[in-house]
Amino acid sequence: MRILIAEDDPISCRILTANLTKWGHEVVVTRNGRDAWQALHVQGAPPLAILDRVMPDVDGIEICRQLRQIDSPVHVILLTSLNRREDLLEGLEAGADDYLTKPLDTHELRVRLQAAGRILELQESLRQRVRELEEAIAERKIAEEALRNLSLTDQLTGLYNYRGFINVAEHHAKTARRSKHPSLLIYADMDGLKEINDTLGHRAGSTAIAAVGQILRRTFRDCDIIARLGGDEFAVLVTNMQEPETAKVLERLRRNLDAYNESGNDEFTLALSIGAVELDHEEPWSIEDQMARADEVMYREKREKKGHEKAQETQKRPA
Amino acid sequence: MTLTHTETQAVDLAILAIYDDAQIEGEPDFVVELIDIYLNEVPRLFDTIRTAIADHDRNTARRAAHSLRGCSANLGVLQMAAIAGELEHLEDNYSTVATELLLSLKNELERVKEILNAERKRRSP
Repeated sequence: MRILIAEDDPISCRILTANLTKWGHEVVVTRNGRDAWQALHVQGAPPLAILDRVMPDVDGIEICRQLRQIDSPVHVILLTSLNRREDLLEGLEAGADDYLTKPLDTHELRVRLQAAGRILELQESLRQRVRELEEAIAERKIAEEALRNLSLTDQLTGLYNYRGFINVAEHHAKTARRSKHPSLLIYADMDGLKEINDTLGHRAGSTAIAAVGQILRRTFRDCDIIARLGGDEFAVLVTNMQEPETAKVLERLRRNLDAYNESGNDEFTLALSIGAVELDHEEPWSIEDQMARADEVMYREKREKKGHEKAQETQKRPA
Repeated sequence: MTLTHTETQAVDLAILAIYDDAQIEGEPDFVVELIDIYLNEVPRLFDTIRTAIADHDRNTARRAAHSLRGCSANLGVLQMAAIAGELEHLEDNYSTVATELLLSLKNELERVKEILNAERKRRSP
């Protein structure tokens, strides 16, 4: 074991060093508190320290106190004079693990070191165990993350995620093409989510996203495919429409959105920019292509909205 | 004199002999090494104590007396340890009694030197 000694008395120091060396320990000798403190803070510092209670600069009790303040795991044995019970209590209170009285009884020193060795071994195996557990937790987190990437649903809203949407929408598009029933692809982007996050916090932002999810669910049928693509973007594939009813569907969505806002449950107002494209089954297409189209329509609406707001602001401004 | 210490053995050689346990084979005699350190250390502590008494610096005198008591007790130099202990805990009539005690310490050192040197010679002739 590596053991640090802090002892200004040369006799006591030599006796300690000689015995410890003979018992096969590696000894780091310091002659004052300051050097001891430094030696306990280098990389690979000794796990056990025998500190003299009384030293000219920083005494053993003060070192104990400072070690415990920084949660140091060093095992400290304090050297005190015989018959100084108050020193002993003060030392233990300061955080010493054990004590030895001077003049040193070498037999006692030996058994105390054995006890310290057992404690240090136990602590090391505990630390090892904690390390293993931390590694296991880290691995599990990576696995969970991988699983989330594989998953088809969005955690926050319970809707499909991007991956889920592409998979399921592709499949439905095929069957819809066979049946020749018109389909409608809607791309919806929340307005002002950033402002909600910035002013009301991310929890409110999450509530807003989840609310949009609920509104979409309420608006569309169970057989429609609803997804949160990520961030503030949503998509819906309305399948098997009996006739083109885009206007009706979008009107229903706006009504539900207004109803939510009028209920005044939240501090924020929900708004969506929407791009809708009807999917014609005469031509072959990929779902990604159609999403890009819908996205473009949505983006145009968003820009127009912003332009409109700007125009209103300009009007409001006094001439 | 109001000194309270009672006469004790000057050096308990049995205590010194304990350190033979730390002797490593083939190395110089460990107890002799300790005796040398001790005989080198004690006059240094005496100096500190004398200067501190003259300067009315009780703390320094007390600390040096504590050290003297400690290393004396370690080597079984019992009477010296007892007198040093008295000096360490001295409160009343400080300067006078402290000077008396320092004198006792010096006399005691002569006795101790004789015994330790004899022991030294016995161990490494």
